[in-house]
Amino acid sequence: MTQITVFEAKKVITMDMNRSQATHVAVRDGKVLAVGGADCADPWGPVTHDSSLAHSVLMPGLVEGHAHMMAGAMWRYAYAGYHDRVDPQGKLWKGMGDLDAVIDGLAGFAEGLDDNEPLVGWGFDPIFLSSERMGAKHLDRISKDRPIAIIFSNFHLMCVNSKALEMAGYDAGTNAEGVIKGPDGIPTGELQEMAAMFPVMRRLGIDFRGLSQTREAISDYAAVAQRAGVTTVTDLFSSMEDEDLAVMLDVTGKPDFPLRIVPVLGALGDATGTADKAERLAKASTDKLRLGAVKLMTDGAIQGWTARVKWPFYVGGQPNGIWNTPPELIFSLCEEMQKRGIQMHIHVNGDEAAEVTLEAIAAALRKYPGPGHRHVLQHCQMMGRDLYARAKELGCCTNIFSNHIYYFGDQHIALTIGRDRAERMDAARTALDVGVNIALHSDAPVTPLGPLFTAWCAVNRQTMSGQTLGAAQCITVDEALFAITMGAAYTLKLDAEIGSIETGKRADFAILGDDPTAVDPMHLKDVPVLGTVHGGQVHLL
Amino acid sequence: MTRLPLTVIGGYLGAGKTTLINRLLAEGHGQRILVMVNDFGAINIDAALIRSQSDDMLELSNGCVCCTMGADLFMAIGDVLDRAPRPDHLVIEASGIADPARIAQVAMAEPDLSYGGVVTVVDAQNYDALAADFQIGTQLRGQVDVADLILISKAVDGEVPSALGLPDAQVLDLAGLAQVAPLILGDALGDGPKDTPDRHPAYVSWNVTSDAVLSRAQLDALIRTRPSKALRVKGFVLSERGPMEVHCVGPSHNMKPAGDVTQTQLVGIGLKGHITQDDFAAWWDSI
Repeated sequence: MTQITVFEAKKVITMDMNRSQATHVAVRDGKVLAVGGADCADPWGPVTHDSSLAHSVLMPGLVEGHAHMMAGAMWRYAYAGYHDRVDPQGKLWKGMGDLDAVIDGLAGFAEGLDDNEPLVGWGFDPIFLSSERMGAKHLDRISKDRPIAIIFSNFHLMCVNSKALEMAGYDAGTNAEGVIKGPDGIPTGELQEMAAMFPVMRRLGIDFRGLSQTREAISDYAAVAQRAGVTTVTDLFSSMEDEDLAVMLDVTGKPDFPLRIVPVLGALGDATGTADKAERLAKASTDKLRLGAVKLMTDGAIQGWTARVKWPFYVGGQPNGIWNTPPELIFSLCEEMQKRGIQMHIHVNGDEAAEVTLEAIAAALRKYPGPGHRHVLQHCQMMGRDLYARAKELGCCTNIFSNHIYYFGDQHIALTIGRDRAERMDAARTALDVGVNIALHSDAPVTPLGPLFTAWCAVNRQTMSGQTLGAAQCITVDEALFAITMGAAYTLKLDAEIGSIETGKRADFAILGDDPTAVDPMHLKDVPVLGTVHGGQVHLL
Repeated sequence: MTRLPLTVIGGYLGAGKTTLINRLLAEGHGQRILVMVNDFGAINIDAALIRSQSDDMLELSNGCVCCTMGADLFMAIGDVLDRAPRPDHLVIEASGIADPARIAQVAMAEPDLSYGGVVTVVDAQNYDALAADFQIGTQLRGQVDVADLILISKAVDGEVPSALGLPDAQVLDLAGLAQVAPLILGDALGDGPKDTPDRHPAYVSWNVTSDAVLSRAQLDALIRTRPSKALRVKGFVLSERGPMEVHCVGPSHNMKPAGDVTQTQLVGIGLKGHITQDDFAAWWDSI
């Protein structure tokens, strides 16, 4: 008989309606044996009482249904963003409110590097800075000998210093799109889009993909997740080559690895090949590495005016966005995946993309009926009641990008889709009212990983400037907490195993310093995360 | 030539990109080209020509390689640049909805690449309807707008889709071309005159060597006044700015500093019936 541990807590929030709260949870073999009072496991034999968490509140381990492994790897580089952010080791990086602060922060980071080792920064976002545009001349203040590249938060732009310009051969004679020049005809240091950034990235050894697949990056991802109380996380556009799989299996297979990762294979190229690979990967699944689903891209991003939006399109008159996968191919991918019983996670930002995708799923279901597919629309930012109702009737789930409300809500009112449509963005209330399953997500590293913050966004709908964006779409704290546990688990088809604290489920908990159901909803984001329990193992920060 | 030329093939699903690539791989052009494709399964090569094959790479006995690009196209381009030896030419098949120029622009920026242009394949029977499609029409018309050369597939009696309008790029019917390699790769730079008319019977090849050093104005005129029916002009030009490597494809051109080049050396290619060697020679003489 293996050991039974009974954890005492100030409160156990179970997300199980049969016993919504308790004071103790008993764990055996990494699973929940019983929930209740101190004596809940007594009928099962001798128990060990553990009171190390007695002053904490336990919740089911939080589930992040849409994030990317790069969220850990980015911390190899210097943070240069506007918002405060915490790295995997727990160090707080203060947000930088003006250009001088950014330069000072980067100069400090450079002191820890070897001589002439490239300095690479990330997360920079000039949209929040009122000072002049960053250029090579600013970065040259840090160093003229060391190549420097600062990647913007959207990953579409970077700014480099004169050494990096020189290494890439960029000068007044360069005539390449995306290499921005000043009035003097000399490159300013700003490079737009991959074609222009590639020569610098190649020479400075910046490799996002390689960076995401190292042992360190996977461990960093687990550390980022642990700090957010997350015990199951996705990597929602994985390429998962054979050598990547071997590394992933090895790292996640360590007995003390505190995270379950759900890599979702990016569908590129032909439908059959992607489906074959997904089926092959599914067979390699372990408890902490769940494979077999696929991710489809459809449109771009609203804040980049590349999302496909229905009439009346963008308020600034920008041309409607772009398809990354043409509708015809969305239809054939949906048909192939539905035919083979492969679950899809489908990126839809604009409402036209959501509409086309739902029609594609409907067509696939007419041809290959099959309940229980749980295809998930991801982002769902502009879906109205009609589209949520359609998702519900087709058996789809919706994973809503609530963090956008805070980070980009003001921009959506002013620059992209205007106030009325911005107020009904990320419509969690509507989704719940029509009865579709929802999860809420961060899309880390696009915004920071933190389901309690994400829940706060869905509950309060506050933007960065402090205005409430569409109060009618606010949901309750209980609904939001359900969405970041059971709701997200359901979208991953893991609701039988995780998402609530009840007998038979995996002993995955978030250890909290306060009760999220008792604090002022405006302080939901401030509830401290003290660590996680994964498979019954305590991982305190 | 040490820089790796990059040509991007664009065009919607079913336009004929794969057919074009199959033809290119099978032709006797004598160059070791590397082709990156989206859908490996559609590549159809005579088994006798295949030297080796794996899940994502096909090596041919003529030295050509065909492979999938994987998750990150730009990283894949970096891998090709790191190959030793590098192939003679890199050809990338853009996905059906992609803007091929977004890929081709890397050849303008990257010092180790040279610009081989955007070739967009257009399906004569479907293009008019697709170009008017409210969902994808704008993106497909964009593929044509950025093209340096437009190739028509499935044309009936050489008829060109009316939605093409009057593009800057030349429009050619694939069915009328015995060889496609010169369109996509151009002629290799050789030493001295070649018997090119016989090598590519459908094409006119021209070349020149010279020791003259062009002024900036002459260099500018060279690019600006090149024959409009020239499909490709490339080579090295001695100039006041130093020796330059020049690539002209259709309406686009790209110039980068050339290393230790001691002589001007240019080759041009066009379609027989569209241009003559005299047209090329007259242009050169006018500089």
